[in-house]
Order: sequence, then structure tokens, then C-alpha cells
Amino acid sequence: MNARLRRRLGNASTYLVLLLVMAFFLLPIFWFIETAFKPRVLTFAIPPVWFFQPVIENFVAVFKQVPVLAYLRNSVVIATGATALAVCLGVPAGYGLARHPGRSSNALALGLLIVRMVPPVAMLLPFYLLMRNFHLIGTYWAVILLDAVLNVSFAAWFMRGYYQGIPPSMEEAAYCDGATGLGAFIRVALPLGFPGTVTIGLLSFIASWNDFLMAMLLTARTTRTLPLGILETYHTYEITWNLMAPISLVAVIPVLILGFALQRYYVAGLTLGAVRE
Amino acid sequence: MKKTNLTVEEQASRRGRRGRPLRFIRSLGALAWVAPALVFVLVFAFYPVLYSFFISFFKYRLTDPSHQRTFVGLGNYIQAFTDPTFVVAVRNTLVFVVGAVGVETLLGLGIAVLLNRELPGMALVRTLLLAPLTLTPLVVALVWGALYNADFGPLSFYLKQIGIPIGRGPVGEPSTALASLILVDVWQWTPLIALILFTGLRSQPTELHEAAAIDGASPWQRFRFVSVPLLQPTILVALVIRTMDAFKLFDSVFAITGGGPGRATEVVNYYIFKVGLTFFDMGYGAAMSTLLFLVIVGFSAAYFRVLNRVWTNV
Repeated sequence: MNARLRRRLGNASTYLVLLLVMAFFLLPIFWFIETAFKPRVLTFAIPPVWFFQPVIENFVAVFKQVPVLAYLRNSVVIATGATALAVCLGVPAGYGLARHPGRSSNALALGLLIVRMVPPVAMLLPFYLLMRNFHLIGTYWAVILLDAVLNVSFAAWFMRGYYQGIPPSMEEAAYCDGATGLGAFIRVALPLGFPGTVTIGLLSFIASWNDFLMAMLLTARTTRTLPLGILETYHTYEITWNLMAPISLVAVIPVLILGFALQRYYVAGLTLGAVRE
Repeated sequence: MKKTNLTVEEQASRRGRRGRPLRFIRSLGALAWVAPALVFVLVFAFYPVLYSFFISFFKYRLTDPSHQRTFVGLGNYIQAFTDPTFVVAVRNTLVFVVGAVGVETLLGLGIAVLLNRELPGMALVRTLLLAPLTLTPLVVALVWGALYNADFGPLSFYLKQIGIPIGRGPVGEPSTALASLILVDVWQWTPLIALILFTGLRSQPTELHEAAAIDGASPWQRFRFVSVPLLQPTILVALVIRTMDAFKLFDSVFAITGGGPGRATEVVNYYIFKVGLTFFDMGYGAAMSTLLFLVIVGFSAAYFRVLNRVWTNV
């Protein structure tokens, strides 16, 4: 009896603390979504108004001022391109590093990991000059290439760990049946590594979708991405939350849906082999 | 740990000299798979980085019409250590990294323990925790900037309501500006640490906990002397990930404070951006980039050393 009461009290206090924790994490998001649907006259009300009739006037206003759909398309093109490139280069690399263990592949893996430690700002200007020589500034390619290079090293590193966790017996069986190295990779290793591939694809996509620093320097008017559209609503002498919130909502909804829908793969990537047996 | 299942070839290569070329060919095999990625990274990452390192020994202004590069040796590096803004930026960066990563780890550990109680509804909580870390950092920064706004921000309003004098707002006052940016980082990234540590806690074998319970250990003792030591490698990996990123703080400084008020939130990564992209002082920006890179590599190497020791101990 006593033990049961204590357990119930313990559970109740767990829920209470979690409620406070979740309030901290969700209230800013709640405010942000509310602001997107809040009538303009209430945006700056003091004290803040939390309950009102939602309207879409803010969306209408921001769609008039910023080419939201064009930027949305640019974001999709750039994030998809960078992800495809990172996956196509990173998965075979990770597979090769895992299946040919040794000093040299350890060194290669470490070399790839170091790319993640470089401050992006340090790469940005030289990369800009490089792209200028190739006449790629303002095209999708410039941003796709830079986002992909930041993602590919992580992809290879992650897939190396992933394939290390899969015994090579299946591929060896394929070799015995006369498969070539490439054949065994395509028919056996790729399907086995599919969950890991989804994980790094998702992480690459989110990283590239959320970037604005690279895009700010490398895109032109016709290739701008959504985060840059958000910045366009910003004015130095006027607070424009009523414009910032709706376009920000458009910008975050796709990645939120992807993250929630592919939650299992997402969390596996976030913990990136942090949890080893 | 991993050398249990040797293939026939590997056993052969371990036994005789004839294994040596075989091993070499095997490592070349890896190269064939890695080559496309490697070439790509060499061209688009290592080349810019090396160029940046090279230019850090020159005075080079991008706006200079003649594109004159003047060799100055270590001049740019010496300039960094005598530049008061850089020194302040280094201090702020260290305060930010230690403060943000420290709070995130403690808070994340606490949340992970709660999540690990496996009560009904926990799956939903875990899903919702994904939201902050998935949001575009720029959006997070703009939203928090709005919440902090001294005149119309809800957070400032409620702080005033409960009698806390906020002056020019949390990010307007030099004394609280950096702490306010730490809070933004804590908000976005604590869920990441919590989820990592939760996964680590859940993968722990239950036998040890049961044995400790039979020996009469209290829940706190079981946490302190069983869970935490087993969790050490996971905590370290989480620290590496967060530290590497915290050193590269950019978005919230860019969108909320611009380094101000005064130099209160000037951090290295943002200062490099300002020097390189608004003053176009390429050489000096590159020199500071090199220094920041070395610090990040140094920290990561230190973590990995500790991690190796922990992994061999557990």
C-alpha cells in the first residue's frame, strides 16, 4: 500500500516536472505559430493576447511582398540536390571504409570527420572565389556543392559505422554466387544499408534546408532560399513579426513533417553511434 | 573488442610476410569506394581551407581593385592577439561554449532520466522534443529575439510583471546579453542531448541495476554509481558534438544582437564573418579562422583521448 502510494507520487511528480519542461520548449513555438495567425492589430498588444479569432491576412501580406513559392521551390531544389549528392558519394565511401578496415581507412575516416570541425565561415570566402572562377555564383550548383561537401563527410562517417554493425556474410555469399564487388554492393549492401541511408539523407536535407549563411553569399535573386526570404521581411526601423512569423512557418513546416514522419531514422542519426554496444 | 571474427585472408595476412601486399591491396580496395567522395571533398573543402590557410599570411583586401597580395608572415596572427575585439570575442566564445554545453548536459541528463521512466505518454514527449532541434536556427533566433524585445516581447513583459527590472531588455543590457543567447542555445539543443542520453540509458543492461537494488542501493545511489558511469561514453560523445557546434555559434548573434550591445556578444565565428565579409579583410579573417579551427580540433582531440580511456575502462 505504502509502496504503491509512493510510486504514484513519484509518477505524479515526474509528470509535473515534464509538464514544466515541455512548457519551456513548446511555448516559444506556440507563440510563433499564434503570431502567424494573429490579426495585425493584436501583434503588438500589451499585455500579449493569447486568445483571438485566427486570420490569414499575414500570409496574404507576406506572399504579396516576398516570392514565397519561388523561394520554396529553390529551397526544395537545393536541399534535394545537396542530399542526393551527399548520399551518392557518402554511402559507397562509408561502405568501403567499413569493409576494408585498416590504418589507411581509419586515417581517411578521420580526415573526413575533420571537415565537420572547420568553421563554415572559413570555407565560405575561398569557396566563393572558387565558384566565381567556375562562373557558378548565383546558380543552384554553388549552394548545392557547398552544402553537399559539408554533408558528405558526415554521411561517409555515419555509414562507415552503420556498415561496421552489419556482418559481411551476406555479401560474401553473393561473392560465392559470382557477384562482382559492385554487384554485391548494389544488390546486397545497399538494401541492407537502406535505414542508415534514410537517416543520413534526412539529416543532410534538414541541414541544407536550414542553412542561410551559404545561401546568402552564393545565391542570386532567382535562386534565393526561404531563410533568405525571411530575412527580406526584416526592417531596421520597424518590427514586422506579422510578416516574419507566417513565412517562417512556411519554412519550418516541411522539415518538421519530415522529422516527425521519419522519427525513428532521425533519432538514430542524431545519436550518431553515440550509443555503442 | 572487434578482432574476434577474422576472415581467412586476415588470418593469413597476420601469419606470414606474404600477407603484407595482400593487406595493401585490401586497403586500396577501400580507396576505390572512397575515391569519388574523397576527390569531391578535396576539391570543394580542402582546397578552400588550404587557400584560407595560405592567404592568412598575406594582407589581402577583396575590395582592392588591383588585387594586391602582400606577404606579412605571421602579421595577421599577431594582429589577432593584439586586437581587443578578438580578445573579447575569444572570451565570449569560451563563456558561451562552457555555459551552453554545461547547462545543456545537466538539463539533458535530467530530462533523459525522466524519459527513461517509461510512463504512458513518453513517446509523445520524445516526439515533441524533436521540434526545437529541427527548427531552422535562423527562425529560432528571430522568435527569441521577438520574445526578448524590450517593448513588445512577451518574455520581457512577464519579467516586468513579476517585478524584475529588465532595462533595455534581456539582449539590450550588456550584463545579460550573452546569457540570453546561451538560453536560446539551451532551448534549441538541450532536447538533442536529452534524446542522446535517453537512448544511452535505455540501452543499459538491467542486470546491474537489479543487482545494485538487491544489495540495498537507493535509487539515487543506483543512478550515481551505476547509470552515470555506464553513461560516460555517451555523455562524452554528446559533449563532442555540441562543443564542436557551439564554437561555431553564428545564427543567433547575426539575427538577434549583431555582436552587441557594445561587444557583449561578439564571438569569434561572427567576428570572422564581419572582418571577412563586411570589411573584406581576407588575410586577417583567414588567420582568425585558422585559430578557431585549431581550438575546435584541440578540444575534440582532448575529448576523444578521454573517450578512448573511458571505452577501454568500461
